[in-house]
Amino acid sequence: MRFQDAARDGRAIVYAGIQADPSVARAAALLLDATEGQRVLARAVMNGTSTDPSVWLTMFPTLFGPTVSAADRRRSEAVLAVSLEVAERGEQIRSQFRGAIVEALTAGLLARRVEPGIVRRERRILFDGVRAEIHPYDVTVERDGSAEAYDCKWGARGIGDDVLHQLDDAQRHAADEDATLSVALVVFDAERSCRVRLDRLTAPHDRIRVVSLGSLDTLSGAV
Amino acid sequence: MDSPSARQLDQTIAVALDAYDGLAALGEEIEDEWTYVADLTLAWRARLEAVADARGDETTDPLVAAAIDGAIAEIGLISDPHRAIDWLSTFPQVVLLALGEPG
Repeated sequence: MRFQDAARDGRAIVYAGIQADPSVARAAALLLDATEGQRVLARAVMNGTSTDPSVWLTMFPTLFGPTVSAADRRRSEAVLAVSLEVAERGEQIRSQFRGAIVEALTAGLLARRVEPGIVRRERRILFDGVRAEIHPYDVTVERDGSAEAYDCKWGARGIGDDVLHQLDDAQRHAADEDATLSVALVVFDAERSCRVRLDRLTAPHDRIRVVSLGSLDTLSGAV
Repeated sequence: MDSPSARQLDQTIAVALDAYDGLAALGEEIEDEWTYVADLTLAWRARLEAVADARGDETTDPLVAAAIDGAIAEIGLISDPHRAIDWLSTFPQVVLLALGEPG
């Protein structure tokens, strides 16, 4: 089993520009230490229609209400501000930004558990005698003996049979080479929605870990 | 009509569920996702109904009522069925968070 950079095709070049946008890094940095409530706020705002901050201040009393400490409120306001920045972009662009944010957040959380240099983005995994998958893995942890591969989704609806097959196949091929590869889906959505989605898919997923919005901190080993 | 602050929690949740049904109807326009939309709606509806069963007699805090009214207004702005599907998962999370309930 070996890792390789994904091909630099047109899509990859455009997407690299989005990944490098400062608002992606800022959003991911804020979400690294965010509470689950603040992450729900980010999801709602980046999915939302309203761009008036007062709408969101009212909608999240547990983050902005009178009993919230000044420090917590400031952090929630920062999450709101960067989420509105993303929301104010066009529908198609913001969809790409949201995906890039989940990937950057995933990489950031993993880098708290393992040496940051072994957390890589947009990588393919090659196995002897197996045709390489076209789509790269969003995030990988590349170390001998216990490698990890992650596919990141903004919402549960993004989970499909194709990605489940890719992750399951990779794990099986690694086992064929006596290598260990843990595979997971990181979904910036509620665990309940992920479960509903998975229940209606036919691809194997027993060995694929699902990290949902409420369990993101498990990536860093924090919980 | 009662002011939001006078509502019992079960009434507040009933109003939210009415709005949620409208959102589901919009999401069902995506034929390929009809089953997912139906299953998702069922799952989240059950979660919200469980809260109504457990805490329905409580008076809704005015801030919570305003939050849920705000969330209902937000989904009322949606006309795109794809965005409606996104909000079929997001809306209940916002409502539950306002109610201080886990998702």
